[in-house]
Amino acid sequence: MRMRFATRAFLWSFVPFALLLAGSFWGIQQRVQTTVRTGLRSSLREAQMSMARLRQETELQNNRFLRIVAENPPLKAGLQLLLLNPKSGSARLTLEDQLREIAENLHFDFMLVSNSDHAPLAGIVRIDNQLVAIDIQHMKPPEQGFFVLGENTYQVASFPIDSNQENIGILSIGEHFDLSEFSTPEVLAQSGKVLRSTVPNASAAELESALRYCGDQNECETQVAGETYLTLAADTITLGNGYALRSLQSVDSVSRPVQRVVREVFLIASFGALLAAAALSLFSSRWIVQPIAGVVSSLRQSEQTGTLPSFETDRATIHEIRELTDSFTRAAAAVQESRQNLQQAYLEFIGSLAGALDARDDYTAGHSRRVSEYSCVIAEILNVSESDLEVIRVGGLLHDIGKIGVMDSVLRKATKLTPEEMALVQQHPSIGRRILEGVKGFQTYLAIVELHHENWDGTGYPLGLAGLKVPLSARITHVADAYDAMTSARPYRSALSHESAMREIKRCAGTQFDPEVVRALVEADEMGRLPRSRDAEPGRLVSVPRRSEAS
Amino acid sequence: MLGRAVPAVLVMIALGCSARAGDIEGNVIIQHKLTKRKVTASADPYQRGTAVVLGSDQEKDPLSFERTHVVIYLEGDLGTNKIEAELNQQDRRFSPDLVVVPVGSTVSFPNLDPIFHNVFSLSKAKSFDLGNYPKDETRTVTFPKPGIVFVDCHLHPNMSAVIVVTPNRWTTKADASGRFVLPDVRPGSYTIVAWHKSAGFFRKTVRVTDDHAANVDFTIPLNEEGVVQQARR
Repeated sequence: MRMRFATRAFLWSFVPFALLLAGSFWGIQQRVQTTVRTGLRSSLREAQMSMARLRQETELQNNRFLRIVAENPPLKAGLQLLLLNPKSGSARLTLEDQLREIAENLHFDFMLVSNSDHAPLAGIVRIDNQLVAIDIQHMKPPEQGFFVLGENTYQVASFPIDSNQENIGILSIGEHFDLSEFSTPEVLAQSGKVLRSTVPNASAAELESALRYCGDQNECETQVAGETYLTLAADTITLGNGYALRSLQSVDSVSRPVQRVVREVFLIASFGALLAAAALSLFSSRWIVQPIAGVVSSLRQSEQTGTLPSFETDRATIHEIRELTDSFTRAAAAVQESRQNLQQAYLEFIGSLAGALDARDDYTAGHSRRVSEYSCVIAEILNVSESDLEVIRVGGLLHDIGKIGVMDSVLRKATKLTPEEMALVQQHPSIGRRILEGVKGFQTYLAIVELHHENWDGTGYPLGLAGLKVPLSARITHVADAYDAMTSARPYRSALSHESAMREIKRCAGTQFDPEVVRALVEADEMGRLPRSRDAEPGRLVSVPRRSEAS
Repeated sequence: MLGRAVPAVLVMIALGCSARAGDIEGNVIIQHKLTKRKVTASADPYQRGTAVVLGSDQEKDPLSFERTHVVIYLEGDLGTNKIEAELNQQDRRFSPDLVVVPVGSTVSFPNLDPIFHNVFSLSKAKSFDLGNYPKDETRTVTFPKPGIVFVDCHLHPNMSAVIVVTPNRWTTKADASGRFVLPDVRPGSYTIVAWHKSAGFFRKTVRVTDDHAANVDFTIPLNEEGVVQQARR
């Protein structure tokens, strides 16, 4: 798979982070759940214990009250009155009235008198802090357990009313049973049917199914309305038959805030890790990629320009990159060297070509080498650039290459040339151009080869160009060629002396020659830089002069 | 004698009363509250289910209540006139809570409450049990012997009343200021008795002449709870 270095670094640095985070997140969540459950269980138990203790005390007290109240003679008299006049409304009213007074004095919330067959006779109940009579025709309040009336629930206990060792009725007394007094949500049920509940957002049906699920289990975990609850049966509180009281505690609602904190922390941590991984991979990849990019760009540049690349190896502080650039540099140096060797071979070939050309005629032996030398001297005085100097040097060697195409009979003729023969000789710049045109890498010398016989005033050949239309290299070579021709012997004349040649050249400055170039030649002569003696023997192959020798 | 008469005359002038010869008059002076009254709410508020406030004393001046509950009579068989009195049961109270009748009189006990009452007495002078009876029924009791009769209700222990059966027709109650008059007493020497439920009996000798009205003052002292119990039985 192809991907950027930064992407790869990011993935490799972030994925372990992410795995580590996810693992610890899961672990901590599990731990939170367990801790919450344990805490809830103990808090439930504690709440129940304290509640049971409280209720036991009040129950004991109620029992004492009950015993005393059941022995109350006026109450007995009232009951007996009602038993004797069961149909009498005012007899019931009398008993209700008595119950009210007792309830008022002893702060009971519910009182009921039944006969010995457990049929309710009269009762009162406190609703909104008012004691009102119970319509016993239409409801049958229990003698034991819980009495649910509207919004109110009463916990009821009973005691027999005896008169002369004989049971004449039952007195039931109740107090408000407020589930909200419990510190935990509670469910009060009778035979599996929910009477009261303080569990938030839970319907009776849901609670009943949860109770069914728990069954006889004292402690159990169940789902109510999509929340997990831990429940504990209140077996320590004495209840009537069939009644069940269960404390519930929502695991979710307790663990939710903790889990939210954990989740937030982990979100921040993972975001931080993401950022850190991104930043780290970006920086590290930039450190690594930048030197590579530098290498790549310099390679591209060299591809465009055709020159061999050179690297700033000290910029690469990374060992591998340094190795890379070093090996590149070494390879480039090898290529450079082989290219130079090739160049050398070319030049040697050209030199030998020029030598062979010069060697065709004793009189012109060493001519090309000397023209090259003189040209270089003039060019240096004219301050031409290094590369132009090189062109002038090689161009000087090659300038008469076109003479290959001129017959020996014409070239080596000892007598004066006929106009036809002269025309043939004058074709050699064009021939030279044709020869070199097809050779790759020799285009730069074409100007010298073709135009070294053009005159300043435009009277030269082959094109008759004048003045600055002729490149400087050609103008220089023209002067150097003329000087060497004049100071060399010809079959039809002896060599002119240096002085006469110089005089002749100075005379022709501005007509035949570029005055600037002539001035440079004169300067070179005055500086003694023109060699007076011929150091090259005729017919000898000339070696390509070194630049140091030329200067 | 003169020293005793002067303040009485001054009091008579000051009060502007026209005391006649043959009258016994005087003042009951009570400086402390004697009765612990427990007022129970009536049955009607219960019917409506309103909250009940118990034990509140509705008398504005507790001492005047005490004064009006002092019975003054003369001892001795001086002749009676039988009357018929009523002792209602209303709003779970006996009303009035103190009835004074000469010996041989009859008292009826009508029940005006919507609930049953069961009036009874265990006193030596007259013990009776009228049984349970509902609204608009009544029972009567005749009192042949003088004495103090405490009346209670079986069903309602907070209800209580006193019937004072006096030996003759010279009997009265002090008014709210403590003043009393026994008119038309034949001249002679008598034992005059003041009775209060909690304080008990106070006896004094009084001499009635043709000349002027006799004057007797009773100062009823502070009584402890124990004295109250003694006085009842």
